[in-house]
Amino acid sequence: MEATKGSKPLVAVQGLTFFRDSRAIFQDLSLSVAQGSVTAIMGGSGTGKTTLLSLIGGRLAPAQGTVEVAGELVPTLSRKALFALRRRMGMLFQSSALLTDLDVFENVAFPIREHTRLPEPIIRNLVLMKLELVGLRGARTLYPAELSGGMARRVALARALALDPLMVMYDEPFTGLDPISMAVIVKLIRELNDALGMTSIVVTHDVAEACSIADYIYLLGDGRVIAEGTPADMRKTTAPEVRQFMAGLPDGPVAFHYPAPEYVSDLTVGATV
Amino acid sequence: MQGKGSEFAVGLFVVAGLLALAMLALKVGNIHVLSTGDTYSVTADFNDIGSLKPKAPVTVAGVRVGEVARITVNPTTYQAVVTLDIMKKYRFPRDSSASIETAGLLGEQYVSLSPGGSRHDLKNGGKIRITQSAIILEKIISQLLYSKAGHTSGHQ
Amino acid sequence: MRIVGIVSGLGRRVIAGVTRLGRAALFLGRLAPGLGIALMRFRLVIQQIYMTGVLTLVIVLVSGAFVGMILALQGYNTLVRYDAQSSLGLLVALSLTRELGPVLTALLFAGRAGSALTAEIGLMKATEQLDGMEMMAVDPLPRVVAPRFWAGWIAVPLLAMIFSAVGIIGAYIVAVGDLGLDGGVFWSQMQSGVSVRDDVLGGLIKSVVFGFVVSWIAVFEGYDAKPTSEGVSRATTRTVVSSSLAILGLDFIMTAFMLRGL
Repeated sequence: MEATKGSKPLVAVQGLTFFRDSRAIFQDLSLSVAQGSVTAIMGGSGTGKTTLLSLIGGRLAPAQGTVEVAGELVPTLSRKALFALRRRMGMLFQSSALLTDLDVFENVAFPIREHTRLPEPIIRNLVLMKLELVGLRGARTLYPAELSGGMARRVALARALALDPLMVMYDEPFTGLDPISMAVIVKLIRELNDALGMTSIVVTHDVAEACSIADYIYLLGDGRVIAEGTPADMRKTTAPEVRQFMAGLPDGPVAFHYPAPEYVSDLTVGATV
Repeated sequence: MQGKGSEFAVGLFVVAGLLALAMLALKVGNIHVLSTGDTYSVTADFNDIGSLKPKAPVTVAGVRVGEVARITVNPTTYQAVVTLDIMKKYRFPRDSSASIETAGLLGEQYVSLSPGGSRHDLKNGGKIRITQSAIILEKIISQLLYSKAGHTSGHQ
Repeated sequence: MRIVGIVSGLGRRVIAGVTRLGRAALFLGRLAPGLGIALMRFRLVIQQIYMTGVLTLVIVLVSGAFVGMILALQGYNTLVRYDAQSSLGLLVALSLTRELGPVLTALLFAGRAGSALTAEIGLMKATEQLDGMEMMAVDPLPRVVAPRFWAGWIAVPLLAMIFSAVGIIGAYIVAVGDLGLDGGVFWSQMQSGVSVRDDVLGGLIKSVVFGFVVSWIAVFEGYDAKPTSEGVSRATTRTVVSSSLAILGLDFIMTAFMLRGL
């Protein structure tokens, strides 16, 4: 796999195979994420995009293949080493996963308090800096229940940035947002990535947003990579699976109909009973 | 994060729990007699202790002054050896006597002390020589019935 | 054929029950190192004692007072037939310290705080809060589960002592104020019959065991819940049912041991 922006890839997945309840989610999947890039991982619902993030984060172990992050083989790490690696990864969950019993300030302060022994004034400044990045410095005393979906996601983003990670993984960051919140998140992902010198992995099925911010796109299907390339490459491609997904066509290689007996015979059987 | 208020409430809660335990131990139970160092022990031999049990009260004129610590059997005389723990503030003459009595008709049995007239006091490890065994209701009744039966048969 | 079906169904249930017990035991093993870590951050435990213990206090105070008063009325009604109403204090104190205090407190705790613990941990799981912590390199067992476990374990014995004490005071108020017993007799009969070692300490040991078991079941069911709203509600119900059965079963076993002087 060649990376878009030179240098060594930050995340390299090789020959990955993973089963869930004997169903193969991934088979011989390989991809790499270049340092400093925004890489989008796309695919329909149920293609295991979120599972891939769990594998990169070391929450699941592959049946076969390797997952390498920042030069470390994730599945072979001890729990301690894995936790040390995770301090350098941020993750944004689809549900935001904010701690409901803490306010916005304490949610962002949480990883700092857990992992450092910094004095209170420094923690305060760090938290306010992170909140300023996502534009929510004024919302510090609100509780998660009082936040809109878009604001909750921005708080979660501030929290993911709290320990200045090497990379941030976004799980469906555009789902369920109004157009304005969506535009804010799109802008934040790209700008923070460039301003803080991070690497970003965005798992999504929103074609337009992915194309607008990603440097490189992987399209998953049937447990493997069915297409990859820059947004421009992906738009130009003629492969039918890619065309169907990129253009959002209801029928194509991915059939509109769930496999079923032939329609007319199915109806006549029903009538005779 | 909860502030100092919750910590204070938890502190109060713990204090309340410990106070409750203290009440159960001191006011409800009888830990104050158990406190060692404040008692001395004497023994008394009885022919029959009835249903006397350890921890039964030891009284003088109905006032509690100690408790029964242990009950064993003297292997040579086959008498019951009852060890009494008596509070230090109460001293008794050496020729005091001990008897086993019953609170009410069916109540628990306890040891009652009757002070003697000697000028020397009982000391720790001392022995009460004059004892009166438990009055066992069933024995008295059967004796009474037996003697009644003897009388009637004698007259006939 | 029906008998075969019943027997095999029974067998499946037994196997499922034993498997569940094994899961719970393994969970306890995984939690054990976290228990030590949580003790070093005792502020978190204090917060949870506040959430569980202090909030259960009101129901324990009210129930304790009522149970004591009912015991006094019922006990008096029975004892007066044998002209033994002077033993009312003893009867109430023994019933409360040996049995009712520890058992009823544990049952109330399971219903009020145990179910809430399960629901809270289950919801944290369902809303990915626990996953989020894992990804922030924070182990949720020492950070979230262990403080709640400690809090329950510490709170139940304290609550049980408060329950018994309040119950005895309630009985005193009814016995002396309403039934016209002599207050001195009430206390002195109690003191001569209640042994600190056998009765008060025995009750305390029971409540410590109940506190451990109820907290264990509550955090296990929460952590093991299916991360959906239905899964959490099922887990909550299971906490109350299993805790209640465990409390009564263990009470029987411990009472049998204690009465035989072991």
